Amino acid sequence: MATDTASEFGEVSRRVGIAFRYLLLASTLVGIVTLGFLLLYVFNDAIQPLSADPGWHLTFLLTLVLPGLATGWWCLQRGYATFTTGLVGFFLPVLASLYSGAIAALFIDVIPTLVWLAFVVAFAVPVGVFAVLQRPTVDLPFLANVALVGGSAIGSLLVLPGLIQGLPTVPSGWVVLLMTLGLPAGLLLARNLGGRWGQREGRIAGIAAFLAAGAAGPLGTATGFGAIPAVVLTLFAGVPTALYVAIVVKERPEERHGLLLPAVLIGGSLLGAALVSAVGFAGPESWVDWSFLTSTVQSGDARSVGIYPGIVGTVLLMFIVAAVSFPVGVGAAVYLEEYAPNNTFTRIVDVNISNLAGVPSVVYGLLGLGLFVRYGGARSGTLLVAGATLALLILPIIIISTREAIRSVPDSMRQASYGMGATRWQTVRNVVLPRAFPGILTGTILALSRAIGETAPLLVIGAAQVFGVPDSWSSTIGAMPLQLYVWASTYASPEFYTTVLAAGIVVLLTAMLTMNSIAIFVRNKYQQR
Amino acid sequence: MSGDRSTEGLTRRTENSSRELLARAFFFGCAALSVVTTLSIVVLLVYEAAKFFTVTAPLVGVAGETATITEFLTGAEWGLQGPNLGVAPLVAVTVMVTLGSGLIAIPLGVATALYLSEYASPRARSYLKPALEVLAGVPSIIYGIFAVAYITPALSTFFPEIGFFNVASACVVVGIMILPMVASVSEDAMSAVPDDLRQAGYGMGATKYDVSVGVVVPAALSGIISSFILALSRAIGETMAVTLAGGSLAREFDPASIGSYLSLFDPESYLEPGMTMTAAMIQLLTGDITGGGLAYRSLFAVGLVLFIITLVMNILSDAIARRYKEAYE
Repeated sequence: MATDTASEFGEVSRRVGIAFRYLLLASTLVGIVTLGFLLLYVFNDAIQPLSADPGWHLTFLLTLVLPGLATGWWCLQRGYATFTTGLVGFFLPVLASLYSGAIAALFIDVIPTLVWLAFVVAFAVPVGVFAVLQRPTVDLPFLANVALVGGSAIGSLLVLPGLIQGLPTVPSGWVVLLMTLGLPAGLLLARNLGGRWGQREGRIAGIAAFLAAGAAGPLGTATGFGAIPAVVLTLFAGVPTALYVAIVVKERPEERHGLLLPAVLIGGSLLGAALVSAVGFAGPESWVDWSFLTSTVQSGDARSVGIYPGIVGTVLLMFIVAAVSFPVGVGAAVYLEEYAPNNTFTRIVDVNISNLAGVPSVVYGLLGLGLFVRYGGARSGTLLVAGATLALLILPIIIISTREAIRSVPDSMRQASYGMGATRWQTVRNVVLPRAFPGILTGTILALSRAIGETAPLLVIGAAQVFGVPDSWSSTIGAMPLQLYVWASTYASPEFYTTVLAAGIVVLLTAMLTMNSIAIFVRNKYQQR
Repeated sequence: MSGDRSTEGLTRRTENSSRELLARAFFFGCAALSVVTTLSIVVLLVYEAAKFFTVTAPLVGVAGETATITEFLTGAEWGLQGPNLGVAPLVAVTVMVTLGSGLIAIPLGVATALYLSEYASPRARSYLKPALEVLAGVPSIIYGIFAVAYITPALSTFFPEIGFFNVASACVVVGIMILPMVASVSEDAMSAVPDDLRQAGYGMGATKYDVSVGVVVPAALSGIISSFILALSRAIGETMAVTLAGGSLAREFDPASIGSYLSLFDPESYLEPGMTMTAAMIQLLTGDITGGGLAYRSLFAVGLVLFIITLVMNILSDAIARRYKEAYE
């Protein structure tokens, strides 16, 4: 009798426990599943995979999906490291091509190559002066160093850009890019690989990279692809991919089988595309197509509008935001972790930063509007105003994540550095920052990927509602999320919501997800060590 | 000669060399910038809002159109044509969005936190936590489009009278957005509950359910409440999703009548469009108003109200969280 009651009690409480457990699990999944469905709908609306011929699906199933899955499974059998090598080998060229497309767009539409050349030369002068002063044979007082570098920077920035832009004969665009980007890339490769594999190999790699970029220019002109995109694509996508393959083959030969995965995936998609166009299977009627990505038309006609101005605006904006917020955010974090005495001011800064992170983004927009436009005298909605506003917005996030990264540097390393007689700045520069760098980088990329989606501050500072491709650093700009808002509010027909807006969401999410995955990759890579 | 130089190098005072001071000054400047940012926000909002009110405008030396504080706080209508400058209708819709999104995010968030901290295996946690982060990472403009394009049509199958723009869909997407914040802050609080308390519960013959609900939740209650406040302050400051989903039509709300407060809890009123404080700011700005007229100043007055509300909530949440920290140390 007694045992019966006990088992009944046990049953009841177990039933409640199990029910409760699954209730909790279900609540955990509600949000995730809802978002999953929403994303599924958006991708379906944007890409419309069901509108393709069954033959099209079958072709790609046979050339891409099945071989890809088989190779992936085979790589996993050989070890997890081999598999990740393969994944990186696939995503590196794909992502690098995407980003180099954006960079090429900048050189074609926004920055004239001659202006670029002028500023690169003007910046090269003080860097050269700095390099000379760093040689051990030169021993000047520190302030004299600062004065020399600063003076040469100001002098060359004032004089050289005007001088170079007034030159009678100018090299063509791709030659400028080859000299300003290809040459440093080659030198960098030669130096770094020279240290790893030996002088001769390094030099060969550097020269090969330079020659490849040089060959890409005329080749791009000849094929109609364009010389500037060809050079940029070679330097930012081709060279890193080749470098990755070389590093895997040379340094981690046991993982080299993983490289089969990207080969199969890329080869399979090319083969599939060739077969489909040969047989004549129609692909999906995707809204995310070449004309959507490159069109500058802004109108109520869903088929002709394009997101190109938004892409260019976002890329430029991210450069400004990163350039402003990274040094300031890291500097503030270094001060708070390494320098700050335990006093009232430090506590105020501490509380202040956590509160700043909670200020609504629209209020940051008001700050930008008042500070830069009304009292700073800037024109509303320009690139610099927008960039500075967004930089202020993500500053607290960068400071918080950088502080965490700096805190994770073991104190014994700092003590060792001080024990060797290093000063505080030397310790920060040589010990703390290098060790914390992966964490800082991850935090910064995540913060930037938040800035990419911010719309409200841009609207408040008066970024353009109807905009074209910006043609200079001081022109009024828009950005991808702003473009989505304009489409959603100005052309708010239900039809627009499930066509162009879905395509815009896919593009914006792709940009964000690639940034996030880079951040996660950096974090995972350095956590293992 | 070289001996002299190395002696000099070894004995000189490095802590105050110009290189060290320059580095220190740079880092200090960066840290001070964050204080300057806050100060500028406060000064700017207060100064511009002062120009808006009749009482304070003479103090900052501004002539021209102004509004009285009573008008601003008790007016039943919002609209920039004429003297309709009452902020209450905007606050009312903001409260509705906050209530509605809280209704979704708070139970789900606490349940998620409890599952992650008490039940989930480390492997399940390693998948679920990044997935929850994604919920918070999707930009709010995208949530706004989701609300109009997918959530509203889905809701209209249950409530056929729902408007194209409506508060309910805004509540749903904002709820999804703030859910990760409730979950992660609550989970931190639950994980901080010492294991001794759980073991004591098990020792008394309690089941896992008893321990979770009877021990962990009460012990972490202050942290859980602080997560609510933090998440709700996010919901209040949320802009793009509510602008797109709720539309830009101000409601009427009379702060003096009790009936209007009851309408905040009326499910029917969630099916109609409504404009929050943040949406009103966006609507003001879509016209060109950098000139400095009454509309421009009212923007800063609304911004000030928004800033004060969120700041107070953040500080409150921080204070509550701090209290519980002391309990087990």
